[in-house]
Amino acid sequence: MPVRLLFLFIALCGASLLIGARQLTWPLPADAWLTLTASRLPRLVALVLTGVGLSVCGVILQHIVRNKFVEPGTSGGLDAAKLGILVSLTVLPATGTAGRMLFALVFCFAASLLYVAIIRRIRFRNTVLVPVVGLMYGSVLSAVAEFYAWRHNILQSMQGWLLGDFSRVVQGHYEILYVIVPVVALAYLYAHRFTVLGMGEDMAASLGLGYAATAAVGLVLVAVTVSATVIAVGAIPFVGLVVPQLVALRRGDNLGRTLPIVAFGGAALLLACDILGRLLMYPFEVPIGLTAGGVGGALFLVLILRGLR
Amino acid sequence: MITVRNLHKAYGAKTVLSGISTAFPARRITSLIGPNGAGKSTLLMLMARLLPPSGGEVLLGGRSVAGIRTGEYARHVATLRQSPGFSMRLTVEELVAFGRFPHSRGVLTPEDRRAIDEAIAFLALEPLRGACIDEISGGQRQMAFLAMTIAQQTPVLLLDEPLNNLDMKHAVQIMRALRRLCDEQGRTVVLVIHDINFAANYSDHIVALKGGALHASGPTGEVVTEARLRDLYGLDFEIVRGARGCLCNYFNPRDN
Amino acid sequence: MRSGRLWMFWLAAAVLAGAFVFAGAGLDFGYVIPKRLVRLAAIAVGGVCVALSAIVFQTLAGNRILTPAILGYEAVYLLWQSLLLLLLGTEGLAALGVGGNFAVSIALMLGYSWALQRWLLRSGANDVYLLLLLGLVLTMVIGTFTQFVQLRISPGEFAVFQGLSHASFNRARPETLALSALAVAAVCLAARRSLPVLDVLALGREQALSLGVDHARQVRRHLALIAVLVAVSTSLIGPTAFLGIFVAHIAYALAGSSRHRATLPLGCAVAIAIFLAAQLLVEHAFNYQTTVSILVNLVCGAYFLALVVRGRGTA
Repeated sequence: MPVRLLFLFIALCGASLLIGARQLTWPLPADAWLTLTASRLPRLVALVLTGVGLSVCGVILQHIVRNKFVEPGTSGGLDAAKLGILVSLTVLPATGTAGRMLFALVFCFAASLLYVAIIRRIRFRNTVLVPVVGLMYGSVLSAVAEFYAWRHNILQSMQGWLLGDFSRVVQGHYEILYVIVPVVALAYLYAHRFTVLGMGEDMAASLGLGYAATAAVGLVLVAVTVSATVIAVGAIPFVGLVVPQLVALRRGDNLGRTLPIVAFGGAALLLACDILGRLLMYPFEVPIGLTAGGVGGALFLVLILRGLR
Repeated sequence: MITVRNLHKAYGAKTVLSGISTAFPARRITSLIGPNGAGKSTLLMLMARLLPPSGGEVLLGGRSVAGIRTGEYARHVATLRQSPGFSMRLTVEELVAFGRFPHSRGVLTPEDRRAIDEAIAFLALEPLRGACIDEISGGQRQMAFLAMTIAQQTPVLLLDEPLNNLDMKHAVQIMRALRRLCDEQGRTVVLVIHDINFAANYSDHIVALKGGALHASGPTGEVVTEARLRDLYGLDFEIVRGARGCLCNYFNPRDN
Repeated sequence: MRSGRLWMFWLAAAVLAGAFVFAGAGLDFGYVIPKRLVRLAAIAVGGVCVALSAIVFQTLAGNRILTPAILGYEAVYLLWQSLLLLLLGTEGLAALGVGGNFAVSIALMLGYSWALQRWLLRSGANDVYLLLLLGLVLTMVIGTFTQFVQLRISPGEFAVFQGLSHASFNRARPETLALSALAVAAVCLAARRSLPVLDVLALGREQALSLGVDHARQVRRHLALIAVLVAVSTSLIGPTAFLGIFVAHIAYALAGSSRHRATLPLGCAVAIAIFLAAQLLVEHAFNYQTTVSILVNLVCGAYFLALVVRGRGTA
């Protein structure tokens, strides 16, 4: 584990705790404690968990589909989770967060399963086509969701609670994110298997790994993480795309070794984007969906163009 | 010893293999030869359990392979298809280490490390140990993948056209390595190969397929004759046997 | 026989057009019929744009499951519309007028296309796939910004935005229509001249070069033409998403050959017929309960899914 990354991560955590609309001076006044525990700490925890979860999901999906450009945002997963939440709101409006997450989970898993099945059947002439098809697939799902929301008249609010935004995170409203911890632990245990998956079905079979079963486990992990993050904080693109690629460039694809780096890298990126969002229009906030989209997109473009030289 | 009994494979109306029954002797190199579309790769994939048969069965040491679990089978049979097109960033050492996966599922024991070192030394890949597999040449990459299957330490090795796109030097290196695997370690090697000359000079046993059916099966000396090869490939052969092996010349066939 | 089919299709389109204009209108040449004629013209122009851009783009990309919308044009259009509503509100929108909105959005989309191509040129690679990747990233990024803006506008403005973000033939005005028709006619003439080149481009880069076609230059040229077509159709009738794929595949199936001389005109006829049919259904069968675009989107989206799910072999 590169030491510099660890230091950066700790520094970002500290910064995240200190920055905000309310100034925190040292020594801490008595009521600052409330700000810390009710808002800043939960927000920090949520940021770290989401960053870790999204980047780990991205790397798992990339190995299952064997394509560097796949992540929940470009494989229909986010849009399916959106549809799931929408359906749960209209079909069973009384359910709590857990119930909605279950709906989102089921939809996300089913959509990802279909996507992987589609990708396996077609031999794409170029790697770029895989995320492009994923994006189009996602927009079909999104169109269905829009139609559905339009019929039930919740279209604008749907856009609202789906754009990634950490300002909603307060004590009592983010705990569902803790489900990411067992997911990441499981991913770490399975790291070697996911690397073998990335070698292709034939190689996996030759090495004695059941491709379908392992891929299904991977998709379940992804679905759980995506549904939890979408419900708690909304959709955040690019993190699962950019971080695994950056790590792979410098450290290779051996997940057994690189998974912790990917996880911390994702958390660091998200922390940085969040801090940026809080500072840009101080004391107002730019939602994380926007900053992550902008920063992540820019990073990704640099990666692509660098890859050309 | 691998036996196939009455093996049949069809895709809808199209039959690719019909009623193949033959044996692949243990501790020998067997080459699968035949013209394009004969079904050689399909037969190999059926033996590797990468495809399910439409009829018939594959027997490993007398036992039907259909019931064996994937993890268990990987300890008996290792398969290498054409150097997979993926571009993962792994070093040669990391790649070879994955050959131990069926045995240790990712946690490397000292025994695993020994197997890895042996496999790398066997193919003289020591200088490339730390190189990334997407940075080395095609021939070297094929050797790295072969090292991975060697590290898997299975009694049976199945290879699908291992010499494709290799230059002459690497092709000879690989065939020699296969020969040594068989002679020194007593492994069974079955490979699909297009080059009749490599097949004739390095294998003990040859199985020839034509149009999805078994054309010939027997020791190399019996199958590699001008009459048999003409019947198989539809080309006029001239076979010259010398001190350094046999040469099948089909380059300038006599027109009849 | 082939040209027989083409004539059949044009005949069907003409019949539908006739039904569209005259059904239920009596002979009201004062109000209803002129309005319908304007809509008919919009359908014709829009149909031609969608068909031409989709088929030519699929030839350039060497792939039949794509549509030029994924390059990001529609994302730019949507961002512009939402920004317009945010900055000027609905009164400002009305003040700018349909014509003004039309002009600016065309300019933006053309500028976007130019910037994309310049960027690509500068990086030295002239690869349609790279363009796709850039388009993918930019679509996602621009989409996030649009989402953000959508949150800031009032519900009334949001309703207007929803209207603008769906394809509709009612928005067209005679002035914008005239401009569009001129632009499309120019593109059609240019396309006519390059029909044989397109056939060669369909063979792939290496084959094209070996046959003496300057692949890089032709790709750039045709991407520019596609940009014009997409900009015009999106500004005139709104985003049409997957319709291009649907139209292209029907055209390929009916044409029987992959020569552009056959597929392009057939594609135009098919697109116009589909638009007419959808509009007729919406007006008379569904009684405006749903919009044309939702209908078209659902059908074409389902078709796209069926295409990829069923797809075997290479893509």
